[in-house]
Amino acid sequence: MATQGFRSLADQLRSWPDARLSRLLSERPDLATPAPHDSAQLASRAATRSSILRALDQLTRAELAVLDALVLLPHESASGAARGERFRGDPENYPTGRSSVDRLRELVNADAAAVDAAVERLLDLALAWESTGGLRALTGVADGLTGGPEQGVSGLRPFTDPPPPAAAVAGSLAALSEPARALLEHVVDAGGEATTGSARVTVLPEDAATPAEELLSRRLLVPRAGSPAVVPGEVGVAVRGGHTTAEPVDDVPSLATSTRDAAQVDRTAAGAAFEAVRRLELLLDRWGASPPSALRSGGLGVRDLRATATALHLDEPTVALLVETAAGAGLVTTVADGTGNPVWLPTDLFDAWVQRPTAERWTSLVRVWLDSPRMPGLVGSRDPAGKTWNALAPELAAVHMPETRRMTLGALEQLPAGEVLAAGTGVPSVVALLSWQRPRRPRLRAEQVLWSLTEAAMLGVTGLDGLASYARLLLTDDDAAAGKTLAALLPQPVEHVLLQADLTAVAPGPLESALARKLQLLAEVESRGGGAVYRFTPGSVRRALDIGWTATELHEFLASVSRTPVPQPLEYLVDDTARTFGTIRVGHAEAYLRADDETALTELLHHPQATALGLRRLAPTVLTSTTPLDVLLPRLRDLGAAPVVEAADGTVHVARPDLRRARTPREHRPGHGPLGVDAARSARRTAAVASVVTAIRAGDRAAATRPAGPEPASTPSGSLAALRDAAEVGAVVVISYVDNHGTRTERVVEPVSVEGGVLTAHDHRTDDTRTFAVHRITTVRPVDDPSPAP
Amino acid sequence: MHDGPLIVQSDKTLLLEVDHERAGECRRAIAPFAELERSPEHIHTYRLTPLGLWNARAAGHDAEQVVDTLLEFSRYAVPHALLVDVAETMARYGRLRLEKHPTHGLVLVSSDRPVLEEVLRAKKIAGMIGDRIDDDTVVVHGSERGNLKQALLKIGWPAEDYAGYVDGEAHPIALDQAEWHLRDYQRDAAESFWHGGSGVVVLPCGAGKTLVGAAAMAHAQATTLILVTNTVSARQWKDELVRRTSLTADEIGEYSGSVKEVRPVTIATYQVMTTKRQGVYRHLELLDARDWGLIIYDEVHLLPAPIFRMTADLQARRRIGLTATLVREDGREGDVFSLIGPKRYDAPWKDIESQGWIAPADCVEVRVTLPTDERLVYATAEPEERYRLASCTHQKIDVVKDLVARHPGQPTLVIGQYLDQLDELGLALDAPVIKGDTTVKERQRLFDAFRSGEVGLLVVSKVANFSIDLPSAEVAIQVSGSFGSRQEEAQRLGRILRPKSEGKTAHFYTVVSRDTVDAEFAQHRQRFLAEQGYAYRIVDSDGLDELLA
Repeated sequence: MATQGFRSLADQLRSWPDARLSRLLSERPDLATPAPHDSAQLASRAATRSSILRALDQLTRAELAVLDALVLLPHESASGAARGERFRGDPENYPTGRSSVDRLRELVNADAAAVDAAVERLLDLALAWESTGGLRALTGVADGLTGGPEQGVSGLRPFTDPPPPAAAVAGSLAALSEPARALLEHVVDAGGEATTGSARVTVLPEDAATPAEELLSRRLLVPRAGSPAVVPGEVGVAVRGGHTTAEPVDDVPSLATSTRDAAQVDRTAAGAAFEAVRRLELLLDRWGASPPSALRSGGLGVRDLRATATALHLDEPTVALLVETAAGAGLVTTVADGTGNPVWLPTDLFDAWVQRPTAERWTSLVRVWLDSPRMPGLVGSRDPAGKTWNALAPELAAVHMPETRRMTLGALEQLPAGEVLAAGTGVPSVVALLSWQRPRRPRLRAEQVLWSLTEAAMLGVTGLDGLASYARLLLTDDDAAAGKTLAALLPQPVEHVLLQADLTAVAPGPLESALARKLQLLAEVESRGGGAVYRFTPGSVRRALDIGWTATELHEFLASVSRTPVPQPLEYLVDDTARTFGTIRVGHAEAYLRADDETALTELLHHPQATALGLRRLAPTVLTSTTPLDVLLPRLRDLGAAPVVEAADGTVHVARPDLRRARTPREHRPGHGPLGVDAARSARRTAAVASVVTAIRAGDRAAATRPAGPEPASTPSGSLAALRDAAEVGAVVVISYVDNHGTRTERVVEPVSVEGGVLTAHDHRTDDTRTFAVHRITTVRPVDDPSPAP
Repeated sequence: MHDGPLIVQSDKTLLLEVDHERAGECRRAIAPFAELERSPEHIHTYRLTPLGLWNARAAGHDAEQVVDTLLEFSRYAVPHALLVDVAETMARYGRLRLEKHPTHGLVLVSSDRPVLEEVLRAKKIAGMIGDRIDDDTVVVHGSERGNLKQALLKIGWPAEDYAGYVDGEAHPIALDQAEWHLRDYQRDAAESFWHGGSGVVVLPCGAGKTLVGAAAMAHAQATTLILVTNTVSARQWKDELVRRTSLTADEIGEYSGSVKEVRPVTIATYQVMTTKRQGVYRHLELLDARDWGLIIYDEVHLLPAPIFRMTADLQARRRIGLTATLVREDGREGDVFSLIGPKRYDAPWKDIESQGWIAPADCVEVRVTLPTDERLVYATAEPEERYRLASCTHQKIDVVKDLVARHPGQPTLVIGQYLDQLDELGLALDAPVIKGDTTVKERQRLFDAFRSGEVGLLVVSKVANFSIDLPSAEVAIQVSGSFGSRQEEAQRLGRILRPKSEGKTAHFYTVVSRDTVDAEFAQHRQRFLAEQGYAYRIVDSDGLDELLA
């Protein structure tokens, strides 16, 4: 070891260079908010249970196994080291105890290099530190290590302190009978504890009658008063062949792959990327014209989701993903409509987004998706309470989702271009890899990986289950290059259609946006994809006339966009619809129906479905209606009439339905959100970490100016820090404690843990472990401090 | 960027650009698995359906080939989800097989046990199967072979039928090709049927489907049962078979309402087969009267439901279905697939037209305006009366007269639905009328006279929709029809598509009343023609001069 070790974790942190401290604060962000006063506070914060659990969640299976082994090993307590001068000259007496890295290399079933890397990472995360007695884990770590081998936990008991020589253990094991050996293996695998039952506890090996007595007699099973007997760690290790686990822990699962032409992967992914952007545009266009209402809980109703999916020829999961991503990017939000009910509306940011090139639009969307905690994959399924998950519902999020997504894509990123996930076995292998990398997060992982992959395919991040070349660039934060690569792969928009006699128009490629919008108005969309098929119907032509197109304009438009002659039936359809269009005029205030064509009115009047409209004939050419105009008009159209609304002065009133927009939420305005400069956000984060580091350093300097030596901790936060320090190094302290009756007593205790305002400590006076409320502790001072308590 | 002729849409339609240089190659490559949905002038639309993909599997294509073809010809990226779907759908075919077991007879064998378990638990299947022989095999009642296939298709696990066919009673039949030759596509159709064992051949009207049937008989060399739509058509089959094959008139029997002969080759009508007396089909025994080696279903798109049920019992015999369109108004295409067999041959009408085997046709819709008084009647009429009122307007009679006058010397058919209207037209045009109550003898006489040119104008009801061979007809004028029936439109057009001397163009007129349901139905029917590549024009009745000038 380069150093002789530190007195406390705080000391070690103090010795670190700024860069290393910054790394710690970015990897464990919970330590940085609010900024700690000094290293001592940082160290005590790092030792709290919740923070440790968060840090443990970030470890791989190998790192957890190393940490587990570290916890098993006995270590010299600080006071022990002080007392234990006698060991110094005679290392043979303490041959296996020191928790040095060398010892870990032997114990953990992994490559030495993997163990070294793991130790380095544990130190970086401040889960372990170098004490004067060797490497040791924070006290809270042992409680946090739960689970089985899958979570990197060996399930062994701590070593005896001091451990017997390895040869002695091996000898005892060798002398065991076969049933006793089997029993021992069973106990070790079942958690290392066993009840002794009727077995005699004190017996010589020669007299042992049962396998259990055999184990007890050879001290392979150690009885404890009042609790089950345990198998000491060193015995467990010996049973498992010298390692804490029988299986190697650095065996990283590999991905199941097959080969695909990389160009094909790119093409497929680019196709999907193009579709995703265009679909979102169509979707929000639709929502702008007829916004769906927002549920009281904030989500999107199942029926609205289905209606949107049907209208766009999509399936519901795709729509859910699109709207979630749009909401994340601030392209859609809720506002109150005219009646005060909340509805989902595209924001004005959407208008700006639509104007940008497709590739840029795509990168902005995917950037949002990458860091989104949303889980659209759940939409449509039921929560544990049996309630259906709605899209855009606020609860539909999980904090670990972005990490899982990044890691899933990261796994794909490791594959060389041209290699893709194998069909069938590919997804399970990704799940296995993630289980190794983050063993402590099993909940929902298989689903989350699957969602990540499906969503990536839908958005065109992957194609044929391989990562697209431009998505690789995006993952390395090179948005501009990603956009450029993608743009080259996108199909070129076409500016013409082919008109056919069956009244369809086929676009032999993606249509230029303005043209597509016009065609969508004039004709019904029948099929979408690389190209598009539109069908002209009397209804669609009438719709165009309704918003002010004239027959001549329609003819000119059709002739100008068609690469082939306009078929005669289509020309006829336009003329024929225009001929009947406007035959009937409907009044605004009185709701009258007026037509020069008497028979048309008669037809309407006698229509079996017109009775509800309350039509009455006033004159041969005029009808009135008791129905309000807004109800009447669509009903008339339903009945096949083509009415136009007449203004008060007798002119024909035509109006285009206004598209509505909401304001962009604040966090999404330029410079505020993912659509602003993303680099700004990460820069801000870096700056924040740096300022915290500076603050800690300043705190340390301030602390250094105070009188040297451990001052008696007489402030609540001071006693807390002192107690934590003592718990870390296993030091003995004197506390003065005010009990229930108000009596102040002094206790000599060995703190074990400080958690939730309660100190758990070994009380030397009663020789028992008991708890003390921290707020009743007035002072804390080291046991060898000569100054008496105030 | 790739420049293929095909655009693969995410909704599983394939758009094929006809003018592309690789269009022909692409068409041949996708034909085995994609259904041609419409073929207008510029872009043909194909659709990927489970049935089509299973057809392809039945013909020996695998998912890999399908995917490769799509990737090769596609202009843009093919949606990944679609490729996955293709692979999954195709993988469903053949997991279950019907086989002959040496001791247990017919058995259902599975290569995938969970599928078998799922299928066996389906309620509809339970009654058709017997004991489990081992984990992967169950006995199937011999009589349920067809029903089981039908039911399996419905639940999405189509079975491959390896149980084979009985040879039937041998009977020598040869094509007599001294004065004529089988056309290439007819030979291809017959051969692909024979290799497939059973199935459907789709050819346009007038393309010689009878000869495909005859060629199939020559392959089978066995006694044959032919099911046709009506008696007149039965007689035509008989004449054609005597003329084109080694069969003599004595070897061919007719089994219809009037005559009940059972001979080595027997032609029966659907009507007699489905006649019920006291709740029993009396003529079913015909199916067992001989050990038939081949059964031919003419106009398979019209196959009535009882015949489907009977066909279910005939799965051990070879079956060929002949039709111009697989479009069934009742949507029972799936039954045709599972009971008769998959589609074995299909050729777009325009291809055959361009080879000169059917005449090009000029389709025109003539719109008449209802006079005000008739419009008033129409406007106040009950909905169910409206179509009759609109399509029977007197305005049409003048237009028909005008149209007939414009085609002097050209054999013309006037086709309608409503008998009053037909009688009226017959009077106005001074032409004979053929309706349902016209005797077979009288019909034969009139048809013969029409063929020979003695009679140049016939007014016919829907009895002439099918299987009446009137090669000389050049002009058809339709005044009313069965509402929006697309296949009726196709059949009627087919009447005039027999190739003409000097490659003359046939004319097909539809007279409809403007602004009524008549026009709506006409539009629905015409869409089918347009989708077959028959562009039509629409003119107003007073604009006829302009059009025909």
